[in-house]
Amino acid sequence: MGRALWLAPAVVAGVVLVASAGKAAAHVETDNGCKGSGTFREKGLFVDAEQIGDQVVTIPRSDTVDWDGSVTAPPGGYSGNIAVDLPPPFSEWVVDTWSGTSQKTSNSGARKYDLPSLVPAGVEFQLRGYHNDDNGFCNGYVNLQLDGGPFDSPATPVSLVATVATGAGLFGTIRPLFRRGGTL
Amino acid sequence: MKIGRTIAAAVLGFLFLLFVAADLVLFGVVPLNSVVVTILPAAGLVLGAVLGALAGNRRRPPEEFPQELPQEPMQSEPFAPPSPA
Repeated sequence: MGRALWLAPAVVAGVVLVASAGKAAAHVETDNGCKGSGTFREKGLFVDAEQIGDQVVTIPRSDTVDWDGSVTAPPGGYSGNIAVDLPPPFSEWVVDTWSGTSQKTSNSGARKYDLPSLVPAGVEFQLRGYHNDDNGFCNGYVNLQLDGGPFDSPATPVSLVATVATGAGLFGTIRPLFRRGGTL
Repeated sequence: MKIGRTIAAAVLGFLFLLFVAADLVLFGVVPLNSVVVTILPAAGLVLGAVLGALAGNRRRPPEEFPQELPQEPMQSEPFAPPSPA
């Protein structure tokens, strides 16, 4: 029984270590020669979806992004989206979608964003993009995190307090297991 | 087995490891889309239920039971009202 009490947390810690091992930060798959990039104006950061490599890109909480995208041939009918990948069983949170018909092979624009303080900083998240047209498909992702520390968001102290409270409650509930001399 | 304790421990185990997973994400230990965020609460549910069931089956040691209550000695003489002065 005593061994089982220590084994369970050890297994949980092992799962955390294995599953948090590093993975590639950017990846693009395409058969229509698509390209995409963005420049964060205030920070002066240039991000190319294909060339960013294995690094996690740290972006400011608010900025304006000058973006552009292109394909090698007139797309015809097209559709696509950008989404934040969520943990299973949740799928993704779609940020933006597009669809239509066009013969243009490139597009560009600027988009201003300002994320609320509730969105935690320092959390690594994966932004996925998908584009499909008459010539093929293009999908990829880049790993991002917001500039700042964990206590920039009020969610962190709330989560810590909730952890301690539920941990104390759990300990109180299973306390007879830790009593000396008891029998099963 | 005490069902109430088992259910309470399962719910608390789920919530405890859910918030642990949230802490790991918020402190940048695991990414948001990590499977750890899914596994930990599920593990907490099962682990809490098992530990709760074991705790419910645990009997108290004999020394924790109350000993024989001290009894007052029986009065051998009948009660006599105080005599007037």
